[in-house]
Amino acid sequence: MNHLPQAWGRPRDDVYGAYDASHLQTSGPQQHTQSPIVTGTSVVAVKFKDGVVIAADNLASYGSLARFTDVKRLRKFNSQVVVGFGGDVSDMQYLDRLLSSLDIRENYSTTETPLNAKNLHTYLSKVMYKRRSDFNPLWNHILVAGLEHENKPFLASVDLLGTTFSSPTLATGFGAHLAQPILRRVVPDEATVESVSREQAVALVKECMKVLFYRDARSLDKYSIAVVTKDGIDLKEDEKLESQSWAFAEGIRGYGTQVN
Amino acid sequence: MASVFSGAPPQGGPGYSFSQTRIATSSGIREHSFYPYTDNGGSTLGVSGADFTILAGDTRSTSGYNINTRYAPKLFKIGGEGPDGTGARIVLSVVGFAADGDALKERLDTIVKMYKYQHGKPMSVAACAQRLSHILYNKRFFPYYVHAILGGLDEEGRGALYSYDPVGSYEREQCRAAGAAASLIMPFLDNQVNFKNQYIPGSGVGHALEQRVPEPLPRKDVEELVKDAFTSAVERHIEVGDGLQMMIITKEGIQETFSELKKD
Amino acid sequence: MDTLITQYSRPAFHDEGYSQEDQQELSQVTPPLSLKFALPPVAQSSAWLRSMTDDYSNPSCPIKIAHGTTTLAFRFKGGIIVATDSRATAGNWIASQTVKKVIEINNCLLGTMAGGAADCQYWLAYLGMQCRLHELRHKRRISVAAASKILANLVYSYKGMGLSMGTMCAGVTPQEGPALYYIDSDGTRLAGNLFCVGSGQTFAYGVLDAEYNYDLSDDAALELGRRSILAATHRDAYSGGFINLYHVKEDGWVKHGFSDTNPIFWKTKLEKGEFSNVTADLG
Repeated sequence: MNHLPQAWGRPRDDVYGAYDASHLQTSGPQQHTQSPIVTGTSVVAVKFKDGVVIAADNLASYGSLARFTDVKRLRKFNSQVVVGFGGDVSDMQYLDRLLSSLDIRENYSTTETPLNAKNLHTYLSKVMYKRRSDFNPLWNHILVAGLEHENKPFLASVDLLGTTFSSPTLATGFGAHLAQPILRRVVPDEATVESVSREQAVALVKECMKVLFYRDARSLDKYSIAVVTKDGIDLKEDEKLESQSWAFAEGIRGYGTQVN
Repeated sequence: MASVFSGAPPQGGPGYSFSQTRIATSSGIREHSFYPYTDNGGSTLGVSGADFTILAGDTRSTSGYNINTRYAPKLFKIGGEGPDGTGARIVLSVVGFAADGDALKERLDTIVKMYKYQHGKPMSVAACAQRLSHILYNKRFFPYYVHAILGGLDEEGRGALYSYDPVGSYEREQCRAAGAAASLIMPFLDNQVNFKNQYIPGSGVGHALEQRVPEPLPRKDVEELVKDAFTSAVERHIEVGDGLQMMIITKEGIQETFSELKKD
Repeated sequence: MDTLITQYSRPAFHDEGYSQEDQQELSQVTPPLSLKFALPPVAQSSAWLRSMTDDYSNPSCPIKIAHGTTTLAFRFKGGIIVATDSRATAGNWIASQTVKKVIEINNCLLGTMAGGAADCQYWLAYLGMQCRLHELRHKRRISVAAASKILANLVYSYKGMGLSMGTMCAGVTPQEGPALYYIDSDGTRLAGNLFCVGSGQTFAYGVLDAEYNYDLSDDAALELGRRSILAATHRDAYSGGFINLYHVKEDGWVKHGFSDTNPIFWKTKLEKGEFSNVTADLG
């Protein structure tokens, strides 16, 4: 302790070393030993009255390179849940194996009811939070879509920090900026979910995938879309964006080739 | 100029250690520069009365300028049965990093339940408050990034409210606001609950003015105060809004209400 | 060979989720004030912690821990006076104006709180536990010297980890008489007649040193303690709120109020004519 009263009770440089601000950095690509390499972009999902629609494109990017164009980022779990992954693809594949082993264990167990979407989301959030607490995060932002008890639609997200939240519409990555406003315009709150039909929800998600393809440079026009209802999962993995209109591009300076 | 008031060591001058301050960052290459925290915004507040405690929190969850969801509760019943927390007598509110908040909530909830099963009686609020402090302090070197407020009724049936810093220092108070809009709400609460800077009219002039003595407020007044505090905070803070979740703890149990806030 | 097989035949993801030990604490009947702390899994955990919490070096650090204080204690013929302010600051934000910075370890030992509020609360509670255990084991009260040494050794074992506390232990025992010790998180432990600790210490020393005398009467000593804290709350922005006053005697401590500084300040100014630097003119 010394003669400068403000410093009392503070870590002293001669004991603790100089204040090291580098711990506070949230980005700085050179310094990560663990940072995403091959990544997937947005996942979008919306609840409707009988279930949930979720979609993600089939692209895995390597930085700005569109490296793999047939990577399926939606995954079924038993016959009630679809998990959508944004972020690192290797971590997604690890989680995929983890979920497979969980599914096998569940199938061998004697429990009557299979894990529903809510249970699976809880499980994934614990895994993600544990990993972030070990400073070894799984670099993903995950959406879990399906049904909870009494066949109520369930949609929730968990990210690499273990943060969880649930909402009638969700979108990860770029989609949080671009797709979420479109989704919220149609489904602003939990009450409106009741009045949204399956067709409306699918059309809405397809619209979002289109807008994302227009503006997200790390996106693709091939995508997967899944509809989860109590009758099961309808997962299509080779959808192509339809009725694109690039007419808007002409009027925008800086978008695409500019003549003058 | 700001640094003059911030209490930071003078730039370039002698540091606050006797030995010369090393200017450069010391430790060289950082293995992991993963940053394990985020701030999910929002605000909570609690007020205790003569025979009740009210806790409230907005339900917006944010990441930067994005709204994650308009309904993410920050108030949790502790020690109740089942998913609805039936029979709970204690409420925990957490604001800050939501994942840490959830982890903290589940830890405390489990502990309070285990206490009940092992001792055959519910945990008192005072015991729960101390235990929460220890849970937070156990993470002293890797803190939970949360400001917690715990509410309930004490052994005499009076409202009890405890507030915490991220590493577990705690204090029983009449009122407390935490989170993003704490600096907006707390001065309002100081004035309206603890009657700070309120004087008895006609008690004199100048230095002879008498301070108004704080007394526990009736429940209806507190509910109105809470609503006013949040509607005002919503006007002036971007991270606060969407919905107001309120829990009122009385000897009858916990009454939970939800009302709308502005969604812009 | 078997170990090799088990090592590689195990699924790679067996360790997701929490281990048994991690969960143990939840089900224990009486959880101890434990000395096992979760550490951030980084190479320099204390540097990491500091970068997150030291709002002095970096005013915009993410986690702000409650700090700031004026505390004092002095020995005199009638025992020991312990006085503190009640303000806690987190950065420039006044986190609380009603902190109890005198911690009642047991009915004849007091500790004061400066530095990290949680550190002081937790470790003085731990000290209280150790003192009670000492009493049960040895059938007599612990001496202040021993109690303060428990604390000093304890914080010394955490040196470099980032604890911040400047505390005083005050107590009166038959073998020692009034005894006062200063302990800080560097591991320093000093016996003395008079200590002031915290951001407002210099201001408190100014008043205390000028007026201090071992043969003070009880009332004069209490007034001196109060006046010293008042001076500090007046000049130190990080101190304020209420004056918390204790008198420690051989048969235990006596509390002499938790009183608002503002009326005391004006009383001191208007009735005694002190603080003439401040104008009393309301116009």
